[in-house]
Amino acid sequence: MDQNIRKTFDSTKAKVTSVKVLKDLQQVYIETFGKGGQFTKLTKEISKLPKRDRPRFGKLINVAKKNLETEFARKRSELKKEKSQGYIDVTAPGKKRALGHLHLVSQAIEEIVYIFRQLGFHLQSYPEIDWDWYVFESLNMPKNHPARDDWETFFVKSSLKPKLGSLVLTPHTSNGQIREMERLKHPPIRMLNVARCYRRQIDISHTPMFHQFEGLLIDKNVSIPTLKGTFDYFTTRFFGPQRITRLRPHHFRFTEPSFEVDVTCSICSGRGCRLCKDGWLELGGAGMVHPKVLKNGKIDPSVYSGFAFGWGVERTIAMKTDVNDIRLLYQNDIRFLEQF
Amino acid sequence: MNIKVPVSWLREYLKTDVAAKTLAGYLSLSGPTIERLEKQKDEIIFEVEVTSNRYDMASIFGLAREANSILSYRGEKCQLVPPKGLNLILEPDISSPLPLDVVIKNKSLCPRFTAIVVDNVKIKSSPATIKNRLQKSGIRAINNIVDISNYIMLELGQPMHTFDYDKIKKNRMILRESKEGEKIKTLDGQIRKLPQNAIVIENDQRLIDLCGIMGGENSQITKRTKRVVLFVQTYNPINIRKTTQVLSFRTEAAARFEKGVDIEAIPQALARAVYLAKKIAGAKIASELTDIYQTANPSIALRASKKQETSLAISKLNSYLGIDIKIEEAQKILNLLGFSAKIQNQTILATAPSWRTSDIQDDVDLIEEIARIYGYWRLPSKLPSGIVPDVPESELSKVIDLKKALKFLGLTEVMTYSIISKELLFLTDTEEKNAIALANPLTSEWQFMRPTLLVSLVNVIAKNQNLKSDIKIFEVAKTYLKTENELPKQDLMFAAIFQNSTFYEIKGFIENIFAILDRDAKWQKLEKEDELFEKDQTAQITVLGQEIGRVGILNSKVSDHFAIAGQLASCEINLTRLFDSPQILNTYKNIPKYPPVIEDISAIFDSKAPVGEIVAEVKKSGSPLVKKIEIIDVFEDEKIGTGKKSVTLRLTYQRSDRTPTQKEVTLVREKISARLTKTFRAQIRK
Repeated sequence: MDQNIRKTFDSTKAKVTSVKVLKDLQQVYIETFGKGGQFTKLTKEISKLPKRDRPRFGKLINVAKKNLETEFARKRSELKKEKSQGYIDVTAPGKKRALGHLHLVSQAIEEIVYIFRQLGFHLQSYPEIDWDWYVFESLNMPKNHPARDDWETFFVKSSLKPKLGSLVLTPHTSNGQIREMERLKHPPIRMLNVARCYRRQIDISHTPMFHQFEGLLIDKNVSIPTLKGTFDYFTTRFFGPQRITRLRPHHFRFTEPSFEVDVTCSICSGRGCRLCKDGWLELGGAGMVHPKVLKNGKIDPSVYSGFAFGWGVERTIAMKTDVNDIRLLYQNDIRFLEQF
Repeated sequence: MNIKVPVSWLREYLKTDVAAKTLAGYLSLSGPTIERLEKQKDEIIFEVEVTSNRYDMASIFGLAREANSILSYRGEKCQLVPPKGLNLILEPDISSPLPLDVVIKNKSLCPRFTAIVVDNVKIKSSPATIKNRLQKSGIRAINNIVDISNYIMLELGQPMHTFDYDKIKKNRMILRESKEGEKIKTLDGQIRKLPQNAIVIENDQRLIDLCGIMGGENSQITKRTKRVVLFVQTYNPINIRKTTQVLSFRTEAAARFEKGVDIEAIPQALARAVYLAKKIAGAKIASELTDIYQTANPSIALRASKKQETSLAISKLNSYLGIDIKIEEAQKILNLLGFSAKIQNQTILATAPSWRTSDIQDDVDLIEEIARIYGYWRLPSKLPSGIVPDVPESELSKVIDLKKALKFLGLTEVMTYSIISKELLFLTDTEEKNAIALANPLTSEWQFMRPTLLVSLVNVIAKNQNLKSDIKIFEVAKTYLKTENELPKQDLMFAAIFQNSTFYEIKGFIENIFAILDRDAKWQKLEKEDELFEKDQTAQITVLGQEIGRVGILNSKVSDHFAIAGQLASCEINLTRLFDSPQILNTYKNIPKYPPVIEDISAIFDSKAPVGEIVAEVKKSGSPLVKKIEIIDVFEDEKIGTGKKSVTLRLTYQRSDRTPTQKEVTLVREKISARLTKTFRAQIRK
């Protein structure tokens, strides 16, 4: 009998400890003290014992019962505490984790890369300080060509190399064009190149350092309509379905024909306002890769053609958000950075 | 280059009823862009963007000619009326013509030279129309003769110059290259010290013209001028360009000469100037025409003089356009633009008009002409087809994901200029000769390409330190290191700074990053002094034996420089190297079937005993039963003695076939304790 009581006590206590929810605790309680419960049975057993033993076992059972009742009560309140806190002010702030912020330029780059990836373009990375050959000469801009003036270039103090020329800070991402042709050797090519670029100018819409985004597609039968389709795809996804693009004739030495790509203005929806050119905002430059550039990249222009485009990431940010002074992006005021 | 065009002036040569706004739209879509349309009281001004290939657009007549082609193709009623006097016969009006002796020393300097002398000139102010037009185009009216030269430049795109004939001694001009150091006082009163290779005109051992850029003061037109040399040329654009660059002095004339002018139209420009001089200054032609045309010069005159035929296969045109247009249609467009185009076996053979010769060289140039007039908006739009190339992306694609992780870990991204000042460079302990320096910096703030991101980040903390006390920022960018004779090393770096923080906070953060990137790093004490980090509070991290970065407390020399209070925990990691290193391959290990035995060991060590080494010892002696070792507590207290620390290790003993017995565990624990006592003279706490 002694052992019986101990065993029942221990096993019940173990059950109480391991129980996870109130419902199960109640079940254990019934199994212990209910009609036909283990202790109820034990109590009944007392009458079968010799009389002189009865008081001792009766006391033993009572102590065990009392102990267990305490255990049950403790567990019950513990389980209740876990579940309910009574009244909750749902309008009070929750416990937050500290989150950081990504720079607007990074957010824009991510979005742009995502869109062009869907068209099979691959993100590559090319030098931001590069040889004159890759930056100008191979792109059909010989030395002393006036077209070079458009690029407001920073030069690096360096010695001249034959063919490669001097070192410059890349004023555009187009140095990636020849480098990608040299790397892959054979079309098809669908490249994206995002990099820091540098030009000698600073005002409300220019900073001496900015990010440019370059796309290059070379394949058989690439046409102006392919370029248009690519831009339309990008524009509706990046700026929204109401915005449309147009090509305006322009001139770049490394593309022929060359265009500037415009997007309808978000402020006036294309009707014309003081922020835009007659309803259009200039997005960037584009064109069909010049055969001389293909030749410089050792690709046969009689078999392959392609298009290239490039524009400032900051400009797209200004076009999409209300950041009206591009210099803000590089002042790194924490009150600015934490807005995004 | 942008030019301002008063629309009323444009309409003198372009007769059409099309409204200015519509006209601007037509031009922008098929020709030069009209950047702005400015409405004035009695006038509309077009601001025209002139691209470097279309010098013919830097003229009002040229624009009218272009507009006429575009409007005609679009079916608008229009007519081109050339300015009067272009074909005036230039013969002396007097019986004994005045002499003008011209010597051109180096023929390549001046492919075409024309001049004529006019007499009987009355210098006065120009008629109102001319004055108004100049003023609306942004040029100040001076007197009738000077105004003619500016008027012709705007009207025909051909810059010209005028001399007072009586100030040219012995009537002799020598056109030559300048010698270095020669001086000329230009019309604006500035004395200019010339480089080599400027084009100048010498007269009687003095310079009277800085050709193509600005005339000399000594030969200028004044109120008393009676006889004038009208002077129209084209110069070698490279000489002009180099001179304007060296002198940092560019005029409207130079901007046009640099791009090249229509060599065939030079006599017409002179004739037009004579026509106007007669009309508004009472001039009479007083000399024979001088016209020196260097057709024989192969290098310069070639493109201009040789009528070059360019051929374009219709199939190529249509493959570019993605539609089928008829060859006759393409021919019609070229002819409208002034080309002479003929068809031969599905190929167009076209010769560009004289004002376009330098721009038209290949078949793709013809494609552009046809496509823009046909209208880009009329072409369809389609997505790229064909095979998507299967090539791996660069590290930048991984950076996008990394940045997001950093954001979620609570860091804010900054972007700072990669060009830094001498002051910041000095802080990085890079000698000027070892840094990448700009040859033509914009300001002293931006002179060197930075070898580290950290100094820029400290600068950001300094600027913001009064706004917050727990700033955590990062930047991902390339740094630029000089290499002998090669492209600078441009590795992608990641740097972060935590304001008022500790070594262990930033270390924990870096450990998180390594877990996110699935890389394993080794932490070691910094061995040498570092200008950016405190030596004793900084670790260098290596992956497979290669150093990839430093993590620690920023050197107080740097934070003091920016007057930053508090401690800056910082790191700089080379992402190029990190991404190049192999990722940890996570393979499946069976989930243990039998429960472990978990026990703690506490021991007192010398306070400088590295915890990393303690763990390594335990690992060695506990293997294979000890499966996991955690440091759960480290503290120093007087009670345990100075220079001592207590370390508590939590060990997980586990077997895959059964629960370890207490006996096994005790045996291993004793082995570990003995080892710790032996290696570190540790005192095991009971």
